[in-house]
Amino acid sequence: MKTYSLTRRLIIAMLLVELCSLMALIGIASVYEGVSHFRALDVALRGRADSLLGAVQDSEDPEDNVMLSGVEGLAPRRDIYIVRDDRGRVIGAQGWPNGEHELISGDTREFRNLTVGGIRYRVIRRLGLRIVDPGDAKGGVARHVIILYGSRTHPVWERVRNAMAFYALSGLLLLVVTGFVLLHLLRRGLQPLYELAEQAGEISINSWNLGPSSQARYVRELEPLVSAIESALLRLEQSFAQQRQFVGDAAHELKTSVAVMKSSLQLLTMRTRSAKEYEEGLERVRVDSERMEELVAKMLTLARLEDDSEQLESNRIVELGDVLRDVAEHFQTMANFRRISLVVKADNPALVLCDPDQLRLLFSNLIDNAIQHSGVGKSVRVTISKRGEMAELIVEDEGEGIPEDVLPYVFDRFYRGDPSRSRRTGGTGLGLAISKAIVLRYHGAIRLESRLGRGTKAIVALPLIESRTERLEHWSAITPEKR
Amino acid sequence: MRVLLVEDEIRLAENVAQALRDGPGFAVDHAEDGQAGLSLAENLCYDLIILDLMLPNLDGQTVLRRLRERGDGTAVLILTARSERSSIIQLLNYGADDYVSKPFDLGELIARAKALIRRGKGTASPALRLGDLELHTGDHSVFRAGTPILLSPMEYRILEYMMHRPRAVISKRELLEHMYDFNWAHHSNVIEAHVSNLRRKLGEGTNPPTIENLRNRGYRLVLESTTSREVGNEPA
Repeated sequence: MKTYSLTRRLIIAMLLVELCSLMALIGIASVYEGVSHFRALDVALRGRADSLLGAVQDSEDPEDNVMLSGVEGLAPRRDIYIVRDDRGRVIGAQGWPNGEHELISGDTREFRNLTVGGIRYRVIRRLGLRIVDPGDAKGGVARHVIILYGSRTHPVWERVRNAMAFYALSGLLLLVVTGFVLLHLLRRGLQPLYELAEQAGEISINSWNLGPSSQARYVRELEPLVSAIESALLRLEQSFAQQRQFVGDAAHELKTSVAVMKSSLQLLTMRTRSAKEYEEGLERVRVDSERMEELVAKMLTLARLEDDSEQLESNRIVELGDVLRDVAEHFQTMANFRRISLVVKADNPALVLCDPDQLRLLFSNLIDNAIQHSGVGKSVRVTISKRGEMAELIVEDEGEGIPEDVLPYVFDRFYRGDPSRSRRTGGTGLGLAISKAIVLRYHGAIRLESRLGRGTKAIVALPLIESRTERLEHWSAITPEKR
Repeated sequence: MRVLLVEDEIRLAENVAQALRDGPGFAVDHAEDGQAGLSLAENLCYDLIILDLMLPNLDGQTVLRRLRERGDGTAVLILTARSERSSIIQLLNYGADDYVSKPFDLGELIARAKALIRRGKGTASPALRLGDLELHTGDHSVFRAGTPILLSPMEYRILEYMMHRPRAVISKRELLEHMYDFNWAHHSNVIEAHVSNLRRKLGEGTNPPTIENLRNRGYRLVLESTTSREVGNEPA
């Protein structure tokens, strides 16, 4: 998408609105100007027609006719007029065209427009009454005259146009001025935004905040942006710190592993040894390298589990009991060796959609943990039950338990409840972190309950497959030969 | 010399302890967590403490601070997997004497340990000299007027310890504490046997410096044969 300037857009929009209103204003004004000018013209026409009427005189002839006299300078030269008496006789005219008759007859409007020789006129029709010999015994003779007086409309239009031009010019000038003022105002008004951008630009790994002085915080429109940025930063900082912690811990573990191997080898070469000593030493190195291999493998597993982009295509409908029995079988030897009884109780099929390998890993982590923490002769119980929409797996040992203050940290990576002991048993401190990552991947929950000296319970809840039909199908497909 | 090793990684601790015992012949005690290390260090019988940083219960930095707070001046060598400069600077400022980063070289660790012990005893040179007696800590060789003397490892260690503090009275108990780690039964007659063998090998009485046996007080390495006078004035 093309980049654009918010300021420019706003200014252009404002100027356009202003231009539109200016045009509307000019339109209204022109109507007003036109109307008022024409009204003035009409008044002037009426006045001139009246003064023309005043020039109608008795002609002192036997028919008591009237005549027009003393009209010089009465009407401007460009005006036209025609005066008739009631018998249709023209008693005076100026510049009146010849085909005038139709105008008189019939049309009794006071004002009309007339085009004469391509020139537009506005014409007033005035009826006049002239009493000839008012001192007469009969009261004189009434003589009606009709005056048609026209004046050119061109000058009026000229005046209206001039007014329009004036309005338009001053409007444009205003437009330019407001454009600049707007630019300045917008720049000043957007200052907090620029400042915010500058502060955001200064965010780095070492400074995770916008700075307390951010003016944008007090701008109502920017405040949501500021708090969004700040909360995003906070989350980023947290996950970054977490990541850094993980990298630091991983580096520590790896370096320690390497240190073990390196020192084992150097110890062997410090002096000449017997073949048996070398053999034993090499065997130790092999065990050390296996531990390192396990550590690396687990770190990779964890990384892969936490990578959300890793697709869930290997997900299948899995019966928890099947997987559990399978895993328990593998641990049976180890349990027998330590004289621990491993009891599995999974009667009701519980179907879950997940990757069976990961489920296997989860179960073996938990069972392995339980066996590692159990003394000789104790038992480890694993049960699967259904609780509402969730399948619940409980791995219960009779070990020494986990102190309460330690319990919140057991799922942290590289955390060891009892470090010296778990190091001796070869724990990497990643087992529970991996278990949690697996459970979270399938939208489940995992927690530990522990009582010192009594044992620990690992409780895993995984969402059951909801579709009832699917479940029934699976029932009929699996249960007959299973039972 | 006796070293306290505080390291939670068992295999690493085994290797380091083995190397320190095999190489310079130190007695090594091992603590698996900070708390245990701190209480072992209370005995003040160590010539060097090798301290890991990431420890359960009490981390190395706290152990170091507590040690220095209670006035323990034992040399401390830090094992660290962190190589950030700031943490190293902080550690040295807290009173650590040296550090090696993991994965370290065992030879380097031993050399640094020896150097720290040497410094702790107030010596700069790896060779200790007293009269015509010469002891090379590098290859554990002892010469008397240029002639090599063959000593058993324990005899060598006793002589090395005593040569760091000539003329001082060293009790049997102190020798025991500095020669043996906790895994050994402490029998003072073992020390007596070693000291008498050592004295014999050095050429008893005739040619100073030699080891004097002070009844009920211990031993001391003396330069002159006219010692009986000084016995009473010698500060223990």
